[in-house]
Amino acid sequence: MSVRTGDSRALVPRASTRRERASGRKDHDGRFAFWLVVPAILVLTVVIGYPVIAALVRSLFSDSIASAPRFVGLDNYFSALWGVNSGKFWDSVGVTYFFAAVTIVLETAIGLGMALVMNQAFRGRGLLRGVVLVPWAVPTAVAAVLWKWSFDPVGIINALTGSHVVWTGSDWPSKAAIVIADTWKTSPFIALLILAGLQIIPGEVHEAAKIDGAGAFQRFRLITLPLVRPALLVAILFRLLDALRMYDLPAILTHGANDTTTLSILVVQATLSELKPGFGGALSTLTFLLIFVTAYAFVRLLGVNAVEAQIGGGRGGNR
Amino acid sequence: MRRRLTRLGMGLAAVAAAATTLTACGTGGGTTGNGTGPITFASGKDLTGAMPQLLAEWNKLHPDQKVTFIELSASPDDQRNSFVQDLQARSGKYDVMWDDVVWTSEFAAHGWLEPLDKAQVGGPGVLPAAVDTATYQGKMYGAPFMTNSALLYYRSDLVPKPPTTWAELQSDCAIAKAHDMACYVGQFAQYEGLTVNAAEAITSAGGSFLSPDGSKVTVDSPQARAGLQHLVDMFRSGNIPAAALTYQEQESANAFVSGKAMFLANWPYVYTAASAAGSAVQGKFGVAQLPGPSGPGVASLGGIDLGVSAFSQHKQTAKDFVAWMQSESSQRVLVKVMNQASVLTKLYTDPDLTKASPYLPTLQKAELTAVPRPKTPNYNAVSLAIQKNVYAALQGKVSVDAAVKQLAADLQQAISAA
Repeated sequence: MSVRTGDSRALVPRASTRRERASGRKDHDGRFAFWLVVPAILVLTVVIGYPVIAALVRSLFSDSIASAPRFVGLDNYFSALWGVNSGKFWDSVGVTYFFAAVTIVLETAIGLGMALVMNQAFRGRGLLRGVVLVPWAVPTAVAAVLWKWSFDPVGIINALTGSHVVWTGSDWPSKAAIVIADTWKTSPFIALLILAGLQIIPGEVHEAAKIDGAGAFQRFRLITLPLVRPALLVAILFRLLDALRMYDLPAILTHGANDTTTLSILVVQATLSELKPGFGGALSTLTFLLIFVTAYAFVRLLGVNAVEAQIGGGRGGNR
Repeated sequence: MRRRLTRLGMGLAAVAAAATTLTACGTGGGTTGNGTGPITFASGKDLTGAMPQLLAEWNKLHPDQKVTFIELSASPDDQRNSFVQDLQARSGKYDVMWDDVVWTSEFAAHGWLEPLDKAQVGGPGVLPAAVDTATYQGKMYGAPFMTNSALLYYRSDLVPKPPTTWAELQSDCAIAKAHDMACYVGQFAQYEGLTVNAAEAITSAGGSFLSPDGSKVTVDSPQARAGLQHLVDMFRSGNIPAAALTYQEQESANAFVSGKAMFLANWPYVYTAASAAGSAVQGKFGVAQLPGPSGPGVASLGGIDLGVSAFSQHKQTAKDFVAWMQSESSQRVLVKVMNQASVLTKLYTDPDLTKASPYLPTLQKAELTAVPRPKTPNYNAVSLAIQKNVYAALQGKVSVDAAVKQLAADLQQAISAA
C-alpha cells in the first residue's frame, strides 16, 4: 500500500509536472502568439474597422454644405430606397446585377472550356497555361484603357469587322463592350480555379467509366462535373463577389454613361464628385448589404463551402 | 509576469506614440496663421514645364517666403479630389490651390477658402468675366490667373469665311460632305465637356440653367429648348458625327488636326497642336468665335482661379503670392512661355504677344461675351444632371422637350440639396 502510494506519488507528481510544464509552455506560447498578433489586429482595426464604422456613422448624418452635418437617422437610406434618389439607386442595382449575371454565365462557360483543354496532356501545355493567364495578369484599369482604344469608333474592332458601331455611344453596345472586356479579363481566373479542381479527379475514375462504356459526354456529365462542382462553385462565388462591385471597366469605358452606372460608380459619384459623404455612406452600406445577402443566398442554396473546398481540394464541398 | 507587463507596456507605448503621430498628421494645420513664411502651391500637371521657372522668380524675390511647387494629376477630377481630401481634413497642406473656375463657389461655400481683397486681385485691368468666376456672394475667393473660352477652329482652305450663325454653319456642312469629312465636332461624351458644349448652345440661344445667384432653375424655357434643338438637329443630320458622342477634348482635337473634321469647337490650346509640324491642317485653318442663332454665339468660360486655403499657416504670403501671379510680369510668362490666355485685358492686344499667338484678339472677343457655367455650391450635381439629360437628347433617346423638363426637375433637386 505504502509502496504503491509511494509509487503513485512518485509517478503522479512527475507526470503532472511534465504536463504542467508542457501546458504551461503551451499557455505561454499561446499568450505570446496572442501578443504577436495584437499589432496586426490593431492595424486591421484602424485600416478596416475604422473606415467601415466611420462610413456607417456618417451615413446617419446630413450633407449640408455650409453648416455642420445634422443627425438625420435613416433619411439617407430612405432617400436611396424609395425617396428622391431611388430612381438612380434601383437603376444601378439593375445594371450591377445584369453585368454580374451575364459576365458570370459567360465566364464560367468559357473558363470551364479553357480548364478542360488545359487539363489534357499535350505538347505545349505549360505554354498554353501561361498564355491563358495573361489577361488576368493585366491590371483591370490597364485592360479597360486597351479596350477603350479597341472600341473607339475608329478603333481596331470596327476596322476588323468593317462595322461603324459607336460602341461607347449608346446603351447596348456599351454594355456589350463592358461584358466583352470583363469576360476577356476574368475567364482565365475561373479557368485556373476549375483547373485546380480538375487535377484532383483521379484518372482511374475516368478509365473505369470508359471500360464501362461511358461516352465522352457522359463522362463529363456524370464524373467531371460532379467532382469539379465544389471548385466550380467557389470560383463562381468569388466572381459573384467581384462582379457585384464592378467599377473600373465601366468607369473607364463609359464613365457610367449609357446606362452602365454600377453601384460602385454611384457610390464614388455621390461621395467624391457630389461631395455627399452621408448619402454616399448610405449607398456603400446598402451595396455591402446587397452583396452580403446575395453571397449568403448563393452559399445556402448551393451549399458552397469555400474554406474546405480550398483546403481539402474540393472533397468537402458537398454539404 | 513583470517582464511580460513591461513588454506589454512598451507595446502600448509604441501604439500610443504611433497614434499621436497620426493625430499630429491629421491636425497639422489646425491652428491657422496670418503670418508670412514658406508656402506650397498645388496645381494640375504642368504640361508646359514652365511653372518652376515662374516660381523661381518669386523665390528669388522672397527668399524667406519660398513657395514649394506641388504638381497634381492632369485630370481636373483628380485635382479636385486631392484638394477636397486635404480641405476636409483641414490640414493646410496646400496653401495656394489652383481652382478650376467651377469649383470656387463650392469651396467657398464650405468655408475652405480665404476671402481675398477685390482691389488687389479683381481690379479694372482684369477681365470682368474672370472676376465673376471667382466671386461668391459678393466676395472674391480666388485670384483669376488664367482664362479660357472655346474657339471655333475652321478649315480656311475649304471655308473662306467662317460661319457666324447656326444656319451658315449648317449650309457650310455641304462642303464637308463633298470632301467626305465630318462637319462639326466638339465634346459630347457624357462628362464635364458636355456641360460646356451644351451651355454654349443654350446660352447662345438666350437660355440659361440657373438664375445668376444659383437659387432658381431657369432652364425650362423656349430659348433653352432652341439651343438644345440645334445640337440635336446637327446630330440627326449627321453634321455632327455619331462618334462625337464619345469625344472628349483630345479625341475631338485629333479629328480636326488629322483633317477628318472641318469645324471644331475647343479650347485655345489646340492652336499649338494644329500649327505644329505633322499636323494635317498646318497653315490651313483659322479661328473664329463660336456661331450662334443670329450672329456670334456665347462661349463658356473656363480657366483657373488661385485660391488661398482657409487652413494655411502663412496666409499673408499666400495672398501676396496669388496677387503676384496675376501681375503683368507673371502673366507675360503665362502667355508667352506657357501659351495660355491671360486674365489681364491689355495683354490681348500686345503686339509682341499677338505675334506669337495670333488667336488672342479673337479669344478676347469671345471672352468679353463669355458666360460662366452655372455658379452654385452644388456645381457637380448640377453638371451631372446637365450631362445626363443632354446626352439622352443627343442620342435621340428622349425628345428635346422631355429632356429639358427632366433636366429642370433634376436641377431643382441638385440645388435644393444644400
